Amino acid sequence: MRNRKWGLYVAGIALLALFPVVVGNPYYIHLAETILIYAILLFGLDIVVGYTGEVSLGHAALFGIGSYTAGIFFFKLGVPLVLVNVAASIVVTAAFGALLALPALRVTGPYLAMVTLAFGTIVQILINEMTFLTEGPLGIKVPKPSLFGHKLSEFEFFWFVAALMVIALVAVTRILRSHLGRAFQALRDSPVACDCMGVSVYRYKVYAFVISAGLAGLAGCLYTYSEEYISPNTYNFELTILFLLAVIMGGRKTRSGPLLGALIVVTLPSLLSDIHLFRGIATGAAILGVVLAGALLARKQKTARDVAIPVASVIGMAVFSYFLENIVDWRLTIFGFMTLFVVYYLQDGIVGYIRGTLEKFRPRQLAPLAAWEANADASRAWAPPAKAGEATGNLLKADAILMQFGGLKALNEVDLRVARGAIHGLIGPNGSGKSTMMNVLTGIYQPTRGGVMFEGKSIVGNTPSEIALAGIARTFQNVQLFGEMTVTENVLVGLHHTFKSNLFDVVFHTRRYRDEERAAHQRAAGILHFIGLADLAHEEARNLPYGKQRLLEIGRALGLDPRLLLLDEPAAGLTAPDITELIEIIRKIRDHGITVILIEHHMDVVMTISDIVTVLDFGQKIAEEAPAHVRADPKVIEAYLGSGAADAAHGAAAA
Amino acid sequence: MEILLQLLFSGVALGMIYAVIAFGYQLTFATSGTLNFGQGEALMLGALVGLSLVSTIHGGPWLNYWLMIPLVMIFGALQGALVEWIGVRPSIKTKSEFGWIMSTIALAIIFKNVAENIWGKDDLTFPSPVSAKPFQVFGANVQLMQVLVVIGAVAMMLAVELFNRKSIYGKAVVATSNDPDAAGLMGINTGRVITFSYALSSATAAFAGVLVAPLTLTGATMGTSLGLKAFAVAIIGGLTSGIGAVVGGLILGVCETLTGFYISTGYKEVPGLLLLLLVLAVKPAGLFGKAAIKKV
Repeated sequence: MRNRKWGLYVAGIALLALFPVVVGNPYYIHLAETILIYAILLFGLDIVVGYTGEVSLGHAALFGIGSYTAGIFFFKLGVPLVLVNVAASIVVTAAFGALLALPALRVTGPYLAMVTLAFGTIVQILINEMTFLTEGPLGIKVPKPSLFGHKLSEFEFFWFVAALMVIALVAVTRILRSHLGRAFQALRDSPVACDCMGVSVYRYKVYAFVISAGLAGLAGCLYTYSEEYISPNTYNFELTILFLLAVIMGGRKTRSGPLLGALIVVTLPSLLSDIHLFRGIATGAAILGVVLAGALLARKQKTARDVAIPVASVIGMAVFSYFLENIVDWRLTIFGFMTLFVVYYLQDGIVGYIRGTLEKFRPRQLAPLAAWEANADASRAWAPPAKAGEATGNLLKADAILMQFGGLKALNEVDLRVARGAIHGLIGPNGSGKSTMMNVLTGIYQPTRGGVMFEGKSIVGNTPSEIALAGIARTFQNVQLFGEMTVTENVLVGLHHTFKSNLFDVVFHTRRYRDEERAAHQRAAGILHFIGLADLAHEEARNLPYGKQRLLEIGRALGLDPRLLLLDEPAAGLTAPDITELIEIIRKIRDHGITVILIEHHMDVVMTISDIVTVLDFGQKIAEEAPAHVRADPKVIEAYLGSGAADAAHGAAAA
Repeated sequence: MEILLQLLFSGVALGMIYAVIAFGYQLTFATSGTLNFGQGEALMLGALVGLSLVSTIHGGPWLNYWLMIPLVMIFGALQGALVEWIGVRPSIKTKSEFGWIMSTIALAIIFKNVAENIWGKDDLTFPSPVSAKPFQVFGANVQLMQVLVVIGAVAMMLAVELFNRKSIYGKAVVATSNDPDAAGLMGINTGRVITFSYALSSATAAFAGVLVAPLTLTGATMGTSLGLKAFAVAIIGGLTSGIGAVVGGLILGVCETLTGFYISTGYKEVPGLLLLLLVLAVKPAGLFGKAAIKKV
């Protein structure tokens, strides 16, 4: 398997090295060069679109900024060194990326798309207007560069581009496999959980966009030298859409997808300029569509209704192609229909589709556990003990918390004192404000009034990720795992804070990064042993049964090395033997010095393991005592069962 | 002074057009959390269909300007419903933000290209329904059409607000925008409400198109930049506030005419983006928007 992979790499590099020599025709070499340049940009665009799930409509503009940075450095500033210009293009474009992403990603929603769309238009206007820098519509001429005093020929420049593409490919792959890549993926699967694992969604979205912009800058710079002439009209809105089309058509979250997508969109304009060729392709597509639909219908995988629209549209396209006389005028319409088709019927792209089909015949095998994973020691689950602080006193102090949603007071002046090393139960009927309390403590809600002190420091107003890093971890009532990531990766996101490596370390696999990655994997294996999920380490989290998902959430939270762990209904949906196991796990967590707040409806669980129990009702605290006392408290009984029941219980107690 | 006043007047007229388009974005955003990236194209189609009805280019004139307006709005509503049906509904089902953004853009590209093929690539003049001769207000020249634009824009937005507040259908729209799931459980057909909001939004845009057309040139490319400016307006004012759209529109309109005159017409697009980034940096929900509390 590994050998086959290396064989593929060597074949790919050999292909790139031999391509110009074998082909020889400058037109095709230039075409291939453009494909490689686009691929570099698309690797970056895929980080934003495929991984973080944001939509950028400004990548043509970023590409243009990269191009013009190189052009201006050469033409206006007279910098002949190509490597300096490459670096400058990357840095300048990344800076523009940051300028856009920092404000636009503060809010969730389609803001990034809107802002980048506006940015795209403005950049084109500015390139046209700022003639003192860009020469406006006249454009800039840039000859092929020299490298170490040697002027690159057509062939040599192709190799230069190919080398940079391979470097970009390796760098992007390394980034996406590192803790950064895990953060990008996690923030899409569950933003809330991501923040609560100390991985700031906002920060990592900005990182992703800036890295993506840097790659667009690199691509733009190479494009300048490849074309030897740049002018503003290249970097238009159509190009942006072309880039997006390439990413989704090729296949998201892969490297082969962008390469394939680049190949398609670079050859697309020539396909769409020859009417006869287009008619041939449209007819072929229609035949293929009908055959595929027929096959799906015959095997009863799809109903006639499902296939009606795509089949009608491919046939319509074929018929339309014979009515057209002038294809150039209708180029954009065809392009628009292609985009619609890809968005709806080829969501995973060509690579994804092929992969999916192959997996039907040969289901993917989970990678077997490595020896060190199988034999990991549960004691490795715990971080080396921090300096022994004061062993007693309150770890958490919430004072007069008021949380108001409109007129509703979900929490009304609630005080909470959580003693260090305790298991603190938090119970109450549905809607009494337990989960609201959790959300206030973890920074998801800002309380309307009141203060929260954790280890003597106020944490009100801090972001969820700051609070998580300060040492408060949580699980969620409605499970919030990173579904498309493996069990191990979920825990690794919890361990994100153990990484000090920066982008440089990740790209160059420095010693620091390798050490941290190894340590994190070992701890993850240890944690999985502790919660009993070691056998499922490589399974995707969404495939786990419900009870195991809840355990995994606890494991992920433990990765954060919390001093306070908030468990929101951990026993919900668990079977009786699972619950026994869970109680054991919570006890062990406490024994390792982690304070626990436990929200739970299973009274036997709460009463067995809690040191103290707080009872909420309609946003008010009605009791806070040892479990045995809570059980007999008439106010608590009234809250749960109504006033008649409380009287009866009282009477029974008196009798 | 007179020049400044004059610039203010044209800025206000321009700004009200932006406000109407931005208002259209808000309508669909409220019911479904989606926007039509082809709102500018809806405006363009409205203007061009209107032009075909009132001018001689397609065998007309068929109608006068005032009778043409309701027809154009009906056309706009149908066009909006089509966009929702093809581009938005499937993506709402799969909860794919990428899906609706890309498909409304794809539809916008198609509409623009089709318009180019029907009406040609050159800009056309739209016959003004009222006298184009300017009159004087405090020494500044004002065209009657500019006044009509402001009145028409305000009337349109007021009509929609009244409809939402007073009629039972409007209440369904408001309910859906507050909580689609709960509205669905109360027997409101939220799918239909979303379609309706798209129809209304495109009808508003088409109306804005025939309002602005006599003041500018009409052509297949007229919508793109207007739609884009309205994005800026919607973000500056807040995606959830009608007043925000008006104030945002006025700010942007005036900024642009001032920049165009005092700095350079080439740079008149720049303040929009700067304002946009500034507002997002300082008050991300927009000047009049409310920050939503996300529930977990």
